[in-house]
Amino acid sequence: MRPLYGIVMREVIRFLRQRGRLWSSLARPFVWLLLAGTGFAAVFAGSSQLDYRRFMVPGLIGMVVMFGALLASLSTVVDRDAGVLRLLLVAPIDRGAVALGKVLGATVLGTSQAVVVGLVLIPAVGLRPGVGGVLLAAGGIVLGSLAIGALGLALAATMRSLEDFSTVMNFVVFPMLFLSGALYPVQRLAGWLRALTYVNPLAYGVDLLKHGLLGPWAASGYGGEWPVSLDVAVLSVCAIVCTTLAGMLIAREGLTSRVGGGS
Amino acid sequence: MTTAPAIEARGLGKDFGPVRALDSLDLDIGAREFFAVLGPNGAGKTTAVHLLATLLVPTRGSARVLGHDIVRAGLDVRRSIGLVFQEPTLDRDLSIVENLRFAARLWDLPGRLAEPRINALLDQFGLASARDIPVRALSGGQRRSADVARGLLAEPRVLFLDEPTAGLDPHARRALWESIHRLRADRGVTVVLTTHYIEEAEPCDRVALLDRGRLAAFGTPAELKRRAGTSTLEGVLLAQRG
Repeated sequence: MRPLYGIVMREVIRFLRQRGRLWSSLARPFVWLLLAGTGFAAVFAGSSQLDYRRFMVPGLIGMVVMFGALLASLSTVVDRDAGVLRLLLVAPIDRGAVALGKVLGATVLGTSQAVVVGLVLIPAVGLRPGVGGVLLAAGGIVLGSLAIGALGLALAATMRSLEDFSTVMNFVVFPMLFLSGALYPVQRLAGWLRALTYVNPLAYGVDLLKHGLLGPWAASGYGGEWPVSLDVAVLSVCAIVCTTLAGMLIAREGLTSRVGGGS
Repeated sequence: MTTAPAIEARGLGKDFGPVRALDSLDLDIGAREFFAVLGPNGAGKTTAVHLLATLLVPTRGSARVLGHDIVRAGLDVRRSIGLVFQEPTLDRDLSIVENLRFAARLWDLPGRLAEPRINALLDQFGLASARDIPVRALSGGQRRSADVARGLLAEPRVLFLDEPTAGLDPHARRALWESIHRLRADRGVTVVLTTHYIEEAEPCDRVALLDRGRLAAFGTPAELKRRAGTSTLEGVLLAQRG
């Protein structure tokens, strides 16, 4: 347990020390709420009994989960450059435990940021979820962080440098966000786009958050769209499969390439 | 060398694509031995150490560290070894002491054991006053000292030092040799040192001379000098290259 705790603590210290990353991650959802929320609210005004800004809140919390967990696990690429990965590889721990520690670190960061943002956003737009709703939303945050942290780690294990980072932003982060139901219900998407939402872990996390926070609007098509059990199952499977895959990729690290310099 | 060997390598080799980094290494290093792997840059020293430390998977051959197979029992190998890398392993956003605590946790050292050791190492390496400064703000020499101290923290049974003195100032260099001397005297640690500084290999029990991925010579410093008919290890190295 102590090595896992060490890996998680390091992620937390790093995050708290990188002030820019801290503030931008906490400010991002409010900027979206203010700019996108206000604009879209005007477009959607009158089309339903649900204010767009309220509709957005589960999606914005999901966005915090995604950025928080994904950026944390993608930092493994920086670990490779800085040499910390060397230390992790020579430490007396199983390579699977290295992967698990990184995923847990990403989960702690994604979850804590989403909880802080949620505590402000949910009352701010006048949502009043009951205890059950809060639990469902918390489940969406934790399982979403686990699944996306694991996915990010599996990605990071295949990346050699941060130059691939903009590729990840364009082909992973933005599609994941826009096909998650965070900004509009996925049911309204065209068939082939809707098919993509089924392979998007963020969509299941956002769906759980909607089940929890937008329960009263479920009948009008703005609440959760998939069964809760499906959300939980897919997120769990994604977390387990991606963590295992990342562990295998990290274990393969020394097969073909030098572990940093030297002869 | 009456005890079982600490390290046994049999035909150990590694290719990186078309590059043959280590050809075929046969080596026995005894328990408690102070062993040097000497050779020019590109000789395969780091590759050999990384193979034995389970950071690389061999292309050919096999090896055992304290009886544990480096491929099949990598975790057991890593439990018994420590490694000071040639390259940095520190997190630049963390302070020195946070880096050492991180390493202590990875090696599963409880705080009550780790804290005194960390403080002692910081004192020895003259880092006590810099302990809370983030690594990115430290000088190159301080970083290197902190990295070497990190490698000594776990007090393993077999300690690999890969070009440990490169970039160390004289004070830290002395702290390193004193630490190694004490680890060997108190705990009977086996030390494997790679270096291209000939004088660092002189006090070692035995020396393996690597050249272009092959074992060029092997023996005590005295034997090697006698065989090559010279008075220094440098002469041995030059005679080998002839």
